[in-house]
Amino acid sequence: MLQYIGPALQNLFRIENFLWLNLGVFIGSVFAAIPGLTVILCIILFLPFTYQMTAIPGMMFLLGIYCAGGYGGSVSAILINTPGTPHAAATMLDGYPMNKQGRTKAALKIALYASTFGGIFSALMLLFLAPQVAKLAAMLGTAEYFLVCLFGLTIIAGISGDSMLKGIIAACLGLLISCVGSDPMTSRARLNFGMDRMYLGLDLAICLIGLFALSQVLTKAEGKEERMILDTSSLKDGGEITREEKKRMVRPMFVSSLIGTIIGIIPGTGASMASWFSYDRARAMSKHKEEFGHGSVEGIAAAESANNAVTGATLIPLLTLGIPGDGCVAIMLSALMINGLNPGLSLFTTQGDIMYAIMIGLIFVNLFMFLQGRFLTNLFAKVVSVPQEILTPIIVMFCFAGAYSVNKSYFDVGVALAFCAIAWVLRKIDFPAVPILLGLVLGRMTETNFRRALQLSKGSPRIFFSSPFCFIFIGLTVLVVASVLWSRFKDRRKATDAKQ
Amino acid sequence: MKKLLTLVLAIALCLTCVSAFAAESWKVTCPWAPSGVAAMVSQKAAALSTTYSDDIVLVADAIKGDAATVNSWVAQYNAGDPELVFAGEGLFGITSILDPDRMNFTYDDFAYVENLYSSVFVMSAGANLGVEDLDGLKAYMEAGNEISVACNGATGSEAFLAAALFGTMGYGEQMTIIPYESAGEAAQAVSRGETDLAVSHQSQILEAYNQGGVKVICAFDGEPIAQGPFAGVEGVGAKGYPYFRNRCFIFAKAGTDAAKIEELKKLYDDILADEEMVTWLHDDMLLEVDPMTEDDVKAHIENVKNIVNEYYELVAE
Repeated sequence: MLQYIGPALQNLFRIENFLWLNLGVFIGSVFAAIPGLTVILCIILFLPFTYQMTAIPGMMFLLGIYCAGGYGGSVSAILINTPGTPHAAATMLDGYPMNKQGRTKAALKIALYASTFGGIFSALMLLFLAPQVAKLAAMLGTAEYFLVCLFGLTIIAGISGDSMLKGIIAACLGLLISCVGSDPMTSRARLNFGMDRMYLGLDLAICLIGLFALSQVLTKAEGKEERMILDTSSLKDGGEITREEKKRMVRPMFVSSLIGTIIGIIPGTGASMASWFSYDRARAMSKHKEEFGHGSVEGIAAAESANNAVTGATLIPLLTLGIPGDGCVAIMLSALMINGLNPGLSLFTTQGDIMYAIMIGLIFVNLFMFLQGRFLTNLFAKVVSVPQEILTPIIVMFCFAGAYSVNKSYFDVGVALAFCAIAWVLRKIDFPAVPILLGLVLGRMTETNFRRALQLSKGSPRIFFSSPFCFIFIGLTVLVVASVLWSRFKDRRKATDAKQ
Repeated sequence: MKKLLTLVLAIALCLTCVSAFAAESWKVTCPWAPSGVAAMVSQKAAALSTTYSDDIVLVADAIKGDAATVNSWVAQYNAGDPELVFAGEGLFGITSILDPDRMNFTYDDFAYVENLYSSVFVMSAGANLGVEDLDGLKAYMEAGNEISVACNGATGSEAFLAAALFGTMGYGEQMTIIPYESAGEAAQAVSRGETDLAVSHQSQILEAYNQGGVKVICAFDGEPIAQGPFAGVEGVGAKGYPYFRNRCFIFAKAGTDAAKIEELKKLYDDILADEEMVTWLHDDMLLEVDPMTEDDVKAHIENVKNIVNEYYELVAE
């Protein structure tokens, strides 16, 4: 490795690379901050530019978009209670309440610090441990994937609000919706009601626009007694984070970065799963559980560091095994291949100077994201000072444009509206919308891996107990379920004692 | 100074507009993943279009959606519209039989332009399976062993090629297709021993092969692979097994002026003969430049349809 560092630095330290890097970071931040405009869409739009570039500036540009997208999604989650990207949904749970408490800039700062920490953490993991970690991750099979998903579903308990039953029902609705499209094991259409556009299933970004952005607008419109002008006094906060808060951020940031990195390495999982996992873990480990959902510093730090820790980690299977960890990275794969770089371990020796330049470059991407974020935080915060009468129609416009642009289809705009209606009805009957999102994120993955595992084992459930990894994930799932049941039991006993 | 700057900017703007309007833009819609092989080759071809034509600029676009995207394309555009779309044996040979309701079009809705590339699928076996070639595979099956084959998707070209091979051998009942979400996942599955075999494009199994996790046992082609890392791997056609290559046909809307179609075909032929393009396709993508006539295209689709009709049961089960 060391023999490549010198030439890699020589390749990297060129003005051209840093210009593209910063441009990518800027574009990624702006795109991800706008609800509906996803990072993947941004990467697809700008990918053709990289075909004229060599590998390093091209990748710096795309990595800039990718990493800044991880942070940018939190901006709208905090400011307008609508995650700019699906993986910022967990940030919204505490970011928006903190904003409502008049600590907008503080929330944005926490998100930025945590994002930068998570990003640099996983970039270092990529740089020093990529080949070893990738080999370990490649050992996870279908059965282990299913058990990871099952463990993921235990998060429902943490995000259900007051009623776990309602949370489970909402999550089941999400799981049901995730079945729409084609059967993953037979490719036959199911639950598509004869609409061929539904064959590929419902896009997560589109569902998100309806569930959170449009429904939020509808709720605002219903508040007839409120004047549609936002209290801009929240902007006057200096964005101070106390020393105690900083201390409280450290542990969730570190743990979540680790979780984000581990999840990012496992192909097909993604930042959404990482941020929910980390949020749930941070809540379980916190001494201030009651603050979660009401503006917890730890909640924002956990979710943001996790979703940015995924960015470097998804590159590990990509660069070492040629397997893209998520959709964005799959697009980046084509940027590499178009330059004649076929990712894989052999590339670390044949093109080591380029590979290490890209990996070191990722650290700089995160550093420049931090610098730009410091400046842009103030700029973005000003968005909320725009009167709601102006801001709301702009949000709606972007929501429709975003829903349309995913597949360039008006049908998707209709899907977003349908999800808006679902969210509105659920809100009326006091059901949480967030578990639906979790069901949507994990549904297809859980089903596919469960059915494939049984197909591999010819129907025998023994496959779920076939490796040490299986036992680890089963153990974790049992532990979480037991702790949830125990805490519910304790709460009930407390309530009974109080009555007596 | 300000005036000079304004003038320069105005001239630059005018020149850009003039050059943009001088050439006709043809949008090329790829109905598969933007990160897929077809989208990548299309982007590369589009980038070269201005080198070979002053009149036509190709603009690559990718909208994942397969039949649904092509349905929209057919409904939206008319003859003569500067729009091109990709379709291959998956739509005309497989979906048309398995799920015809999903297709609101037939081959007659299109005017054929050119074939973008050809790809020879390969079958790889886990390194520990002890199967080195087709004879070894046959002996393995003769011993009564059951076998699992990892494929990208449940009813894609890869699944039908596997079914055709084992079906013709007479061991279709001993084979199970295990569908994965991507070719990369399928390659990893065979590499870690989760499945016995995998069928994939050559480029998709290359890394697992380089790491020693798999052995490539045969190619789904008539002849052995001629070049690249898998040169010499025997083709199933030489032993009488059915096969087809993966192809990506470029179409305009039916009724488009024949002279324009010819112009587009010439442009694609020039691009596909470009030295840089050929090297990239061969060396990096492990694909082949393979210009085809419309009769070749129809014969290819017919061949795939025959295979699908014959081995439908094995895949559908």
